[in-house]
Amino acid sequence: MASLTLYPEDERLVGASRVAFNLYMITAIGLFVILMIIGLTMRLSQAMWFEVQVDLFYKLLSMHGTGMVGTAALSTTAVMWYFLRKYVNLHLWAFITNYVLFMLGAVCIIVAIFIGDYGALWTFLYPLPVNGMGLWSSYTAALFMAGNLLIGVGSLLFYFDAAAAIIKKHGNLGRALGVQWLFKGTIDPNHPKAVVASTMVIIANSLGILAGAVVLVMSLINVFYPDMHLDALLAKNLTYWFGHMYINATIYMGVIAVYELLPRYTGKPYAISRPFIWSWSASTLFVIIVYPHHLMMDFAQPQWLTIMGQVISWSAGFPVFLVTTFGALQNLHRSGIKWKTPSRFMILSLFGWAAGIVPAILDGTVRNNLVMHNTQWVPGHFHFYLVLGVLSMVLALMFHVTGSRTQTPPNSSADKIGFSFYLIGGLVFVLAFLAAGHMSVARRMATHLEQWIPTDKMGSIGATILILGMIYFAVRISIGLLRSPSSSQATGASSSSSSQ
Amino acid sequence: MKRTTLLGLVGIALWVVNMLPPVRSLIETTMTSQMLVQLTMLTMSGWFVAHLVPLHVRDHIDRWNAQGIAGLLLATVTSMVWMLPRMMDSSLSDGTITVAKFVTVPLLIGVPLALSWPLMGFVVRGFFLLEAVATAFRLGWLYLISPERVCVNYLIDDQQVLGIVMLCIGGVLFAYFGWKLMFGTIRT
Ligand code: HEM
Repeated sequence: MASLTLYPEDERLVGASRVAFNLYMITAIGLFVILMIIGLTMRLSQAMWFEVQVDLFYKLLSMHGTGMVGTAALSTTAVMWYFLRKYVNLHLWAFITNYVLFMLGAVCIIVAIFIGDYGALWTFLYPLPVNGMGLWSSYTAALFMAGNLLIGVGSLLFYFDAAAAIIKKHGNLGRALGVQWLFKGTIDPNHPKAVVASTMVIIANSLGILAGAVVLVMSLINVFYPDMHLDALLAKNLTYWFGHMYINATIYMGVIAVYELLPRYTGKPYAISRPFIWSWSASTLFVIIVYPHHLMMDFAQPQWLTIMGQVISWSAGFPVFLVTTFGALQNLHRSGIKWKTPSRFMILSLFGWAAGIVPAILDGTVRNNLVMHNTQWVPGHFHFYLVLGVLSMVLALMFHVTGSRTQTPPNSSADKIGFSFYLIGGLVFVLAFLAAGHMSVARRMATHLEQWIPTDKMGSIGATILILGMIYFAVRISIGLLRSPSSSQATGASSSSSSQ
Repeated sequence: MKRTTLLGLVGIALWVVNMLPPVRSLIETTMTSQMLVQLTMLTMSGWFVAHLVPLHVRDHIDRWNAQGIAGLLLATVTSMVWMLPRMMDSSLSDGTITVAKFVTVPLLIGVPLALSWPLMGFVVRGFFLLEAVATAFRLGWLYLISPERVCVNYLIDDQQVLGIVMLCIGGVLFAYFGWKLMFGTIRT
């Protein structure tokens, strides 16, 4: 069971581990700020408050989408590593190699976008990347795809190392997921939730990356040998299988922070249960087969896939989300929780997840998708659960770790103001997208009609407030992480107890 | 007879059988059997022959083959050559390429794989197997969509059969590894 000690000894970051963790988190928070400013630039241009050339808009959108998805994965990988290493023997080289490959991939992507003028978005949907119509060359598209491949290889390396460590301890992935307790047997109360969640991510994301590796290499072949025409629908299926799982996995990695940290702030144990095992096992399967909800408007798609997309959309997110929110509320109830910056972010993250999933489920229904498809309803849903859900989970851990120096979780007045900015700005920003979606405003459009502009303006104001909060967090967290550990930590003195 | 010697002899026998003209001509009549039966058997013959490598030589090689990566690299690069339809084609009509096939596939794919496999950890093996599955899917897909015959000696329908078989192989390997990782016993 997760520790109730705020800063347990086995979580201490020392030497190379500390450097690696700081590299991940400081890079991530810096990238988040830069990419948010890019996002704001696009929103301001849609609101006609700031002029951005159309071709530049699509370059910015490609950078923002790819960068945000990658950075969300990078930071939540650090969350998974931070907790999983306590239970199984992870190798630091795999964690660091993932970082290096990520950075190399990022360089390829940045060069492809800002030097090669690539503007076919993060989904690199065949055959768009190779049809730059003179705006970018097919070699640029190849560089962009190679960058994605590098990032995928890095993730796989990390997952395989984690899988090896989990299998060594638990025998196989099924046992790590807890399937032996689905119907019978006494559940080991010490079976870590972090292991269950990580196992799910390893299974789902490895499959997704396999699909991505197939379609990326095939697209690369098409770049150099255009006579090899791919089946566009098959390529789209594989691309979304990869893309959906990759971004979805971030919340399943991020939530480990809630499982591990929440009981420390409430002071109440957060036990593993049969419903918990059931929900994670079910979601492991569902998350793998839910992606067809992205292809509901593809008339050539086999009907059974579309039906599966709808049925599974209604059930995929629910099990884990329900068991997590219900478990967290139970844990919170009459707990006398210590309201510190990390605990605030944890509760916000559950709200972001819970509320963000609702528009997704609505859109995952064929009837609704008919009018919602490719409207700003879609960025409304995913910004909701990414900005207020995933990012809040990551920020919770970042803030928690900055408190490890003094063994006191941060809770300054400035933090509270920053949090309010983040919450209010975030809500205004995502609700503006949803309102625009409700009016059928098309997504991915550089120029907007006159009637669409009010929601663009509202979104821009929300984003500006959110970014102000985020810039403060970035400075605060970077300084907090870089400060050397206190002497008691350096010498390995015992950590404080939950009485704080 | 020692087990290793026996396995080595099986390897040599497999190689000789594959060289026999009737066997060769039977296997080489279709693209699918040349690629999937002949190349696989030649690789296996090399794998078995590797058992004849004396222990002290193995120790020496192991020092240059950390985690089996050097051997894996050699085997992969050689396989890349033999995945080219042009090479398979030429091996039917050009004597030098025929000899190259019968020598390099066992010695530069089978032997290094056998010597490297025990040295590989879970991560390296995982990467190798995942890439093998991905390659089966990619090649299968390519053979199916290729607008023209890639071998002079084989017809396009033969090439498409190979494509389907490759996709099936990818699917079976994928299901097997998936099942093993989820519910099997694995040495890490
Ligand atoms: C202040 C914060 C942010 C702002 C202002 C912002 C702005 C935008 C805008 C204007 C779009 C294009 C909407 C359209 O299609 O019309 C967009 C798309 C997107 N954003 Fe954000 N965003 C922010 C934060 C984030 C975060 C934190 C993530 C992920 C962790 C994210 C991921 C994405 C993705 C994946 C897309 C889709 C790109 C595409 O359509 O190809 N964004 N964002």
